[in-house]
Formats: sequence, structure tokens, C-alpha cells
Amino acid sequence: MDPETRARIILSDDHSFVRRGLRNILESTDQYEICGEASDGSQTLELAKRLHPDILIIDISMPSPNGLEVARQLHESLPEIKVLILTMHDSAEMLRAAAAAGAFGYLLKSDDERSLVDALQHLKMGQHFVSPAFEPDLAKQLFH
Amino acid sequence: MNALKVLIADDHDIVRKGLRALVEERPGWEVCGEARSGREAVEKTVQLGPDVLIIDVSMPDLNGLDATRQVRRLSPKTEVLIITQHDSDEMAGEVLDAGARGYVLKSDSDRDLANAVEALSHHKPFLTARVTEIFLASRGRGGREPDPVDAVRNRLTMREREILQLLAEGKSAKEVASVLGIAIKTSDTHRTNIMRKLNVHSVAELVRYAIRNKVVEP
Repeated sequence: MDPETRARIILSDDHSFVRRGLRNILESTDQYEICGEASDGSQTLELAKRLHPDILIIDISMPSPNGLEVARQLHESLPEIKVLILTMHDSAEMLRAAAAAGAFGYLLKSDDERSLVDALQHLKMGQHFVSPAFEPDLAKQLFH
Repeated sequence: MNALKVLIADDHDIVRKGLRALVEERPGWEVCGEARSGREAVEKTVQLGPDVLIIDVSMPDLNGLDATRQVRRLSPKTEVLIITQHDSDEMAGEVLDAGARGYVLKSDSDRDLANAVEALSHHKPFLTARVTEIFLASRGRGGREPDPVDAVRNRLTMREREILQLLAEGKSAKEVASVLGIAIKTSDTHRTNIMRKLNVHSVAELVRYAIRNKVVEP
């Protein structure tokens, strides 16, 4: 993507202040436009189909369906949307599951603001990003 | 009229940003500080004297409930709003017992959160109808049934509970001493006392006990 263009993002999390925090951080750079917000899986799918964002940031623990299922469905129907999982789950198993579901990136809620900005920059340029909390070798192996 | 001073305590950057945005949206409200751990929340409350402390129940270093107990003791004018992922009867009871008068789920709306802060700013409680029901029911029964968390509270001093959490988070007695600013020998003595009171014989058992009794999360 042309670095001058703003990437369009949908935020999906059932915690409103997480969405608000994300919006606050991302809108303060000039690189992103938040084009929609959702608080459950089916709302997310509906918005994604309607708005065709460049990037979707989604929590795994979302009501009906959960974030992994949303990632799976979008990977099939709208693979050009890059899905960044943002979650509390820091296990290798969950990371593997996210990769298998077609997620483009994986970030932990405990990661700092800088990692979030880093992650979005990578995704905007078409590069995978995995939280620095994971072993780099594992991350490379799963997301290549 | 003085601005309402709010202190935000959560270990996640993104959540703190979101809570700050919410508070700063309201004219007359200001964020006077942020804390990333329970201990920092207590220190900053004492330092800054906020009107309202918004604190997550799961915080490293000193959990939200224990931090609330300390805050209510050290800064009685500060009202505490607890935010939590988990809604359960047990949690509701714990929150009330700790002295928080506000309780909101993370999945509740921005408006609920704002209403909670508003209520607390007038020293009125903000509890959902369900939590109020639990509170009234327990008082009607003449007190709650003893539960595991009570067991920890009743047997250990506040200091010992702090140390239990640090040990259960994997800190050595030396690191505990460093965090609390006490001598290593004192930290060791506390550890021995805690293990004796809880009748455990290894740190591994101590950790299991702490998890079972919700001092730390697994």
C-alpha cells in the first residue's frame, strides 16, 4: 500500500474502552482511518463485507462467533482483509490456531502502545507481525 | 468549581488510553494520573488524592481488591470503581467487601462507566441491580457462608497477603524484599510464617493455594 494513503480499519472488541483506546492511538497518527466498530462476531462479519477494510483488529474472546471463527470465515470469503488478532491469550497453542485460521498478525493486550503501532505499520506494508512476547523462531515458522 | 480528579489503574496501555479518552471527554473531569500495577495505584492515590480511582481487578504486583482495601484505608475520600472481566456472585461480594462502591464489567458500555464515575463523584454507589440483590441477600442471611477467599483473609495479615501474591507470581524472597523495601531476613520470616499458617510445605504448594483462593490468576 502507498505509504501516503490511510489504511482503513475496523475495530472489533466487546470492551468499549479497548476500542476507544485503539481509536485514540491510531487516529493520532495520520496513517489510519477507523471506518467501523463492532462488539460481536456477526456484527464484525457484516461490517467487513459491507466496508471492505484493509485491516481488521479483532479480539479472540468475542461473542458469537469468536474472533478465530471470524478470521477463518474472512480468510475464505475476503482474504485481502488483513486480520490482526488482539488478545489476552499468550499461549503458543492459541498463536498456532490463529495462524491456522488465516490471521495476518497477533498481538497481546499486554503489549505496549509502541508494539501496536509497529504491528499496524507492518500490516499496512503487507508484512506479518507477531507480538514480541513470543519466540521469534516460532512466530516466523507460523507466519511466513 | 474544581475538576473531578480521576486516577486510572490498569496494566494494559490500550485500556488506560481508552479510559483516559472517556474521562477527558467530560468537561470538568480530568485524569490526574495513571498506574500500571496495584501497588502503583495505592502509591499514586496517596500522592495525588484523586476523587475517583478506576481500577482493574486483575493487576500485577498487588491485585485490584487488595489495592482497594489499602486505598480505602489510606485515602477515605477516594471512591473506588472496580472494572472486571468476570461477573460472578463471588466477585460481586468481594468487590463490596473490599470497600469499592462502584462495579462495572469490561463489557459494559461507555455510558455505564461514565454513569458509575458520575455516581461515585457524588459519593453514591454504582452497582448493577444484580449486585445489589446479592448484597441484600447476604445481609439478610446474617452474613455470607465462609468461602475460600475469606480463609486467606482471615488467616493472613494484609502484609502477609501481599507477600503471598508476590511469591505466587514467581518472585524469590530476595525480590520480594526488594519490591517491598524490607530486609531479606524479614521477607524470609514472612514466607515461613505464611507457609506455617497455611500449612503448606513448599513454594509450589503455596502457588497452588494462591491460585485456588484467587490471590493470583492461573
